Amino acid sequence: MVADWVAALVAAGAVPASMVPDASAGRTDATEVTGADVIEGDTLAVHPLDGAPLAPSAVTFLDGIQRWSVVGYDGVTPIVRAYVAAAARRRGARRQLETVDEAAEECAITAVRSLRPEVLAALQRAGPRVIDLDDVAPGQPGRALAAAQVKVDRMREAVEHAVAERIGARLGADEWLVIDGIISDSETLARHPRVVGVVKSHGAQYFSGAELERALTLPHRHRTSVFRPTTRHGQHPVYSWYVRLWPWEGNDLLYGLVRVEARADAATLGVAGPLGAWLHAERAPLSTPDARFDRLLYPIHLVEEYLKARAPRGQMPGRAARLPRTAS
Amino acid sequence: MTTPPIGRVVATELKPATPHQFHFWTATETSVGIGAIVRVDDGGKGTLKDNEGEGGRVVYGVVTDAFAYSDLATPLHDVVGAEGDPERASDAPTARQEIRLWTAAVLRQIPEEPLQPVPIGRVFVATDADVAQALRMDAYLGGAHPTGIPIGLYTSGGLESPVYVDADFLLGPEAAHLNISGISGLATKTSAVEFFLSSIFQHYPAHKGRIAAVCFNVKGPDLCFLDRAGPLGEEDRRRYERLGVSPEPFAKVRYYTPFKSDGVNLNTLRTHPDLVGDVEPLVWGLKEVLDYAEVLLNKDDIDAKADAFIDFLGDRVLGRDFDDGYGGRHRVESFADLDRLFRAIFDGLEAIGKGDMWRTHHIATIRKVRNRLSNISTRCKGLVTDDGAASDLPWGAFEDRSVTVVDLANVDPLGQDLVFARVVSKLREHLERRDLGVDAVVVFVDELNKYAPADGPDSYVKKMLLDISERGRYLGLVLFGAEQFRSQVHRRVVGNAGTQVFGRMDMDELATPGYQVLSPATKIKLATLPIGELMIRHPHFTQPIFVRFPRPAVLRGRDGVEQYPPGADLPFEDAIVRQMVRIDRKAKPNQVKDLVAGRDEEDVRRALAGVRRERPADAVAHFRKLLGSKVSADAPRERRSVPPLNPISEEPY
Repeated sequence: MVADWVAALVAAGAVPASMVPDASAGRTDATEVTGADVIEGDTLAVHPLDGAPLAPSAVTFLDGIQRWSVVGYDGVTPIVRAYVAAAARRRGARRQLETVDEAAEECAITAVRSLRPEVLAALQRAGPRVIDLDDVAPGQPGRALAAAQVKVDRMREAVEHAVAERIGARLGADEWLVIDGIISDSETLARHPRVVGVVKSHGAQYFSGAELERALTLPHRHRTSVFRPTTRHGQHPVYSWYVRLWPWEGNDLLYGLVRVEARADAATLGVAGPLGAWLHAERAPLSTPDARFDRLLYPIHLVEEYLKARAPRGQMPGRAARLPRTAS
Repeated sequence: MTTPPIGRVVATELKPATPHQFHFWTATETSVGIGAIVRVDDGGKGTLKDNEGEGGRVVYGVVTDAFAYSDLATPLHDVVGAEGDPERASDAPTARQEIRLWTAAVLRQIPEEPLQPVPIGRVFVATDADVAQALRMDAYLGGAHPTGIPIGLYTSGGLESPVYVDADFLLGPEAAHLNISGISGLATKTSAVEFFLSSIFQHYPAHKGRIAAVCFNVKGPDLCFLDRAGPLGEEDRRRYERLGVSPEPFAKVRYYTPFKSDGVNLNTLRTHPDLVGDVEPLVWGLKEVLDYAEVLLNKDDIDAKADAFIDFLGDRVLGRDFDDGYGGRHRVESFADLDRLFRAIFDGLEAIGKGDMWRTHHIATIRKVRNRLSNISTRCKGLVTDDGAASDLPWGAFEDRSVTVVDLANVDPLGQDLVFARVVSKLREHLERRDLGVDAVVVFVDELNKYAPADGPDSYVKKMLLDISERGRYLGLVLFGAEQFRSQVHRRVVGNAGTQVFGRMDMDELATPGYQVLSPATKIKLATLPIGELMIRHPHFTQPIFVRFPRPAVLRGRDGVEQYPPGADLPFEDAIVRQMVRIDRKAKPNQVKDLVAGRDEEDVRRALAGVRRERPADAVAHFRKLLGSKVSADAPRERRSVPPLNPISEEPY
């Protein structure tokens, strides 16, 4: 059924295409400079992770994926097919993951008003949810694709939040939810006492000068003091701290460095150390062959693999060079 | 579908599904193992029955190999993750993603045409009905004349399904013979054959006629207690019940064994006083031996001249009044008679003093044949009698579902060869004439490594085994052979066995070319098979199947010897008494002893052989008659010296 609507569009006069944008595999963090208030102590300090790690009885890991590609053009208007999915997989006493919740959505993204009536009719008849790029003026497709990227990001966030909030609502007293990425964009998650976000990318800058250096040159098996990032538009307050999972010397400054987000609550200060130690323990098994194995927790890697395995095959990033397809 | 699937077929470019093989994965905890039978359902309408006319495809396969691996890219990553400490590796909070990937060989596809690759479908563990379908047992378990013979239980995943072989392919005429190989003591070859025979006797279809077995016991007490019940556990009884076989010892067993060299004590371990009465002596005379003289001659001996002379003896001399050409008349009935003839010939040739030929036969040939024949009467003294009286198997009177055990465990190898050759030849002759008493005979021979080796000289016994293997099925002469090393048995003997059974095998043996068709996993399973489990190949089964069989309901040899310790050899008179009482229960020991007292042992043996041959109503009276009147030996006369006529002179000259 998934591919049917693309065929229907082509039948209605759209020109088929198969262009997978480079950014279709995942969200990218915006690079920006923001601020933060150190909550634990007066200045950002370095703390060893030598205490006992947190040992929850069960942990649920959540991740999401997004895939999108241009499947056709009506004139110069690109028609994007997008697929987003999120899954939560719970780890219990058997140390194996079991999927406890998941959600997926496929939709078409295009500038509706730029489509010819027959193509639009075919799209509406075929059935996918259509997201309109109503704020994109007709013109070069690049702008439409940039807007489509934003729409896909929002779709993925929505799917992730939906799954995460369902899981958060039914977490047991000794259970935690670990989310791949930030939690500050969901009020429910940002306020949950046992939801933690693990951020692998470090586009946002919270410190400068000596504190920045202290944060980014954090030694292996250490964490920084807890700080509160300055809240941006649409974000909810959280506490955060850096944890170094692997020695960075000889690699890269950001090698093995993750940033943790948790509830903005005094209680978080008490668990920052044990939680950091727990996350440090989660670095094994290695999540190779993923190139981000130094920051990617293995259970999150498994969730991602699960989602990839269940994604529609046509939406996976192509491995082959983008040479023109030969005629058959 | 009532049971959930346990796996799913996967096919990749590197590991594609083919019409003969497929791969599937299961959960890490699964009941599937090497040898398990599975059913692949391509998602049609479900069961085979439902699929008829629905276009669905059902494939049955047997698991032949297994793989497990994780998502670990290289072993080094595990070392890095554990920081070089194996102890820490197990501390990882998440277990690595693992896969259990299985390879299965296709047993059957339904529909069978067009033959296609196995579909990507769900995999189920086989049910009883699936096992019957997968092994094509439906072809011979139903109908007006079912021919299924239970051979063991397929056990996997908590299932215990009876596995049947087709009597037409086990016992002829379509195919025949069974070969079983495995390590001594662990492969339970003898136990398996005992169970198979029991199952055959209980399930051999009536429309196929009457059947019997002849078992050659060539080592220890293995087959000496087939008529005695052995201990069975609850598990065994349950298996018997599941197989529909009654756990009982053989009802009709006859034991034959030669005498020891004393000519009166039986050469067997079944000599306990309670049992020895059932043992018949196996004694052959010159006539029986001469027909199979070829067995006694080695390759160098077998030449046209010796052969011609033996034929001459058989055709012109044996049992006839014969003139030796030097004035002597002979009637050769026994080895003793024959030796007299030979001596007369040699004396005659010597007397005339010219020529080395006697009736176109050279004296060297005559001497050679004489040596060989006298050799057998010396080396197999208890088997071969000088006096010509024979005690033989009941040719023409074999009973239906009877077992005849020929105990040769302690007999000279030459004698074993002779007995084997003659018994099998006689079986063949009678089966050809259809006058044996039964329509089919299973001949069980252990130690095929010895009797039909892959290399070494061609012996008469090997030729006979080849002959049975290749032509026996038309006659109803079925060979059940056992050996330790299948690779070292003549390949036509094992190759002609329609049903092949493997117990625990030696790894060196499994490394030989004959086992190349087996997967490494199947080989490992064979090398570690527990007692009571076997791998079976049968013409209806496209792949080997593992089955379990219950312990035979008969007393094992070792247990039998403990329960019925062999009796000590009896003094001559007592042994004669025992023989007479066995022939005629009314015979009084003292009466027999009185008759024997003071007699020449040879005369007594001859008389006993006569009684055994005649089987008169009054054995003692006949024994007395054959012994004849007692002639007391004259006391030697005193020799008186006779003085010389002339006294010896004292002169020195």
